[in-house]
Amino acid sequence: MVTAQYFDGRTAAAHGVTLTLDDEWLQMRGDLLAHEWPLRDVKVSERLGDTPRRITLPDGGHCEVTDHAALDVLLKQGGYRQSWLDGMQHSMRWALLSALLIVLIFAAAYRYLLPWGAEVVARSIPPNMLQKMGASSLQTLDKLMLESSKLPPARQQALRDAYAKLSPLPDAQLAYRIEFRSASQIGPNAFALPDGNIVMLDELVALTDNDDEIIAVLAHERGHVEQRHALRMVLQSSAVGLAMTWYMGDVSSLLATVPAMLVQASYSRDMEREADEYAARTLQLNAKSTCLLPDILLKLEAAHAKRLAEASKDNGGSVMDYLASHPATQERSALLCPAH
Amino acid sequence: MQTQQEHAFEFTGKGWEYFRIWIVNLLLSILTLGIYSAWAKVRRLQYFYRNTQLAGASFEYHGTPIAILKGRIIAFVLLAAYTVAGQMNPLLGILIFLLLAAVMPWLIVRSLRFKLANSSYRGLRFGFAGSDGGAYAVFLLFPILTLLTLYLLAPLTHYKIKQYQHNNSRFGDTFFRFDATPGNFYSIYLKAFGLLLLAGVFFGISAALHMPVLMVVLPLLYLYIVGFLAVRLPNLIWSKTGLGEHDLYSRMEVGKYLWIAFTNLLGIVLTLGLYIPFAQIRMAHYKFSCMGLLAQGDLAEFVAGQVQTDSATSEETAEMFDLDISL
Repeated sequence: MVTAQYFDGRTAAAHGVTLTLDDEWLQMRGDLLAHEWPLRDVKVSERLGDTPRRITLPDGGHCEVTDHAALDVLLKQGGYRQSWLDGMQHSMRWALLSALLIVLIFAAAYRYLLPWGAEVVARSIPPNMLQKMGASSLQTLDKLMLESSKLPPARQQALRDAYAKLSPLPDAQLAYRIEFRSASQIGPNAFALPDGNIVMLDELVALTDNDDEIIAVLAHERGHVEQRHALRMVLQSSAVGLAMTWYMGDVSSLLATVPAMLVQASYSRDMEREADEYAARTLQLNAKSTCLLPDILLKLEAAHAKRLAEASKDNGGSVMDYLASHPATQERSALLCPAH
Repeated sequence: MQTQQEHAFEFTGKGWEYFRIWIVNLLLSILTLGIYSAWAKVRRLQYFYRNTQLAGASFEYHGTPIAILKGRIIAFVLLAAYTVAGQMNPLLGILIFLLLAAVMPWLIVRSLRFKLANSSYRGLRFGFAGSDGGAYAVFLLFPILTLLTLYLLAPLTHYKIKQYQHNNSRFGDTFFRFDATPGNFYSIYLKAFGLLLLAGVFFGISAALHMPVLMVVLPLLYLYIVGFLAVRLPNLIWSKTGLGEHDLYSRMEVGKYLWIAFTNLLGIVLTLGLYIPFAQIRMAHYKFSCMGLLAQGDLAEFVAGQVQTDSATSEETAEMFDLDISL
């Protein structure tokens, strides 16, 4: 026998009733109340923790039951089958197993699915779209942080010519140009835009001893473009951002961006390595030493470390910020230039 | 003068219990690439509704996963169309944005109707009778006016939205009423704005005195403003809402709310999200423990007298035309 509260669905009045099972019939008895229905016409809500269970009756009314043990006995007697999910939702073992599986799925998706998907999408973007994206990113960069170059036009042309002579690898797809700019707050650097344009900063040109070093950097940047690294990074981090917003959605969208940034940093390591390899192959093809790149890398590292040390004196920033996002220069150097 | 009786809401959800339901459903949602999340949402709402008790009876959620899935697919398609179109052609993006703005009030009405028609207490359904015209006024016209007046009308807009929502909601055949005034909303928003000005002054002073230590106060002040709005607005809205001759109330406190919100955030970050179900349960406990019903005379008598005349038809239309767009 199960005690329950009966509501008729037309008024909000509660009636105390008892439920019993007679063969296949559910019988309900209360003050002034007596009904019976075939058990198969009655819908019993699934168990959700200790919440009251609801028995929906054919007359439009329903019963609320809090005596779970008694109801389970009655349902078992009537041959009622729990859904397969019922056990899972209430067992600690399944909860822990689910947690473990979720972590594994996320890890696998992050490690394999995400880079693969980003590459497929990045490679399928048509060239005219790349052109548009490149032009608009350059526009934004110009507005936000870049200034026009102070290199003499003759020097710019000389570097352009030297770069034009660099034979691309056979599978290269994009046309390449150099855009000269300067940016004192970034320091020595060069970056590749999706359309193949490479932004070369005066500060980097000033750091080099000879044009071959600049060519090495350009070859490295070309590797980034050919392998669609910028695009892949944007795609990957926005996918991670989306997943995080979905998962942590209730918390804060601000919080969701933090992991996305961390992911970006760890991806750029693999990409730097790929770009280094690409640069090495290009340099070999053009009969230039692969040691050129480590040379300029070491200089860059020293220059950035100096800048950061100065910056950290000013506002407490950390040198680790920079180092975390780049593979150790020594490691890269050993790969590119074993003789070093 | 009848005697007034206070009936507090009681929330009986338990963290570990909900964690088990939550995580199994999360796993299934991931394995089905999000499709199962509609089923998970129904379970979540059922767990929270059934654990919310008032005067000895609990609430119930009746939404069907298919309706929710339908709504999610529509929302997803709209969002995807907007994002892709904006990338391809800014003009097309603007066009789709205008289209979205034009259908949004209509969708919101459907969504409110779905939500209330699928909520019940003591066997009687809630309902929403708001007109489309009213929705276009409060969800489109007033927000546009707010933008045009540089947010001077924001509190009025908020008032209008809540007035539309609550005055058009009913339990059984009895409508809710909303007794707040625009002045009530302006008062709270102005206080928050005053606190913001105070933060600005503080910033100015600490900058002028070269005392960065004082800056520590700024995030605290900012946090307080967020908590102030998150507590005082629901308090106002619920305390000015009534059902028949009875009144509702909400009496959250900013300090307690902020403490729970902050420790929840900390727990979620430290456990990489595993604390989310516990956090939701904790917050629901607090919110509901501060809410209740001030009954004029005998609530049991009132409740027993509540009827529903149109249950079958309203349910059917809800099934056929309504969808749930909230993600």
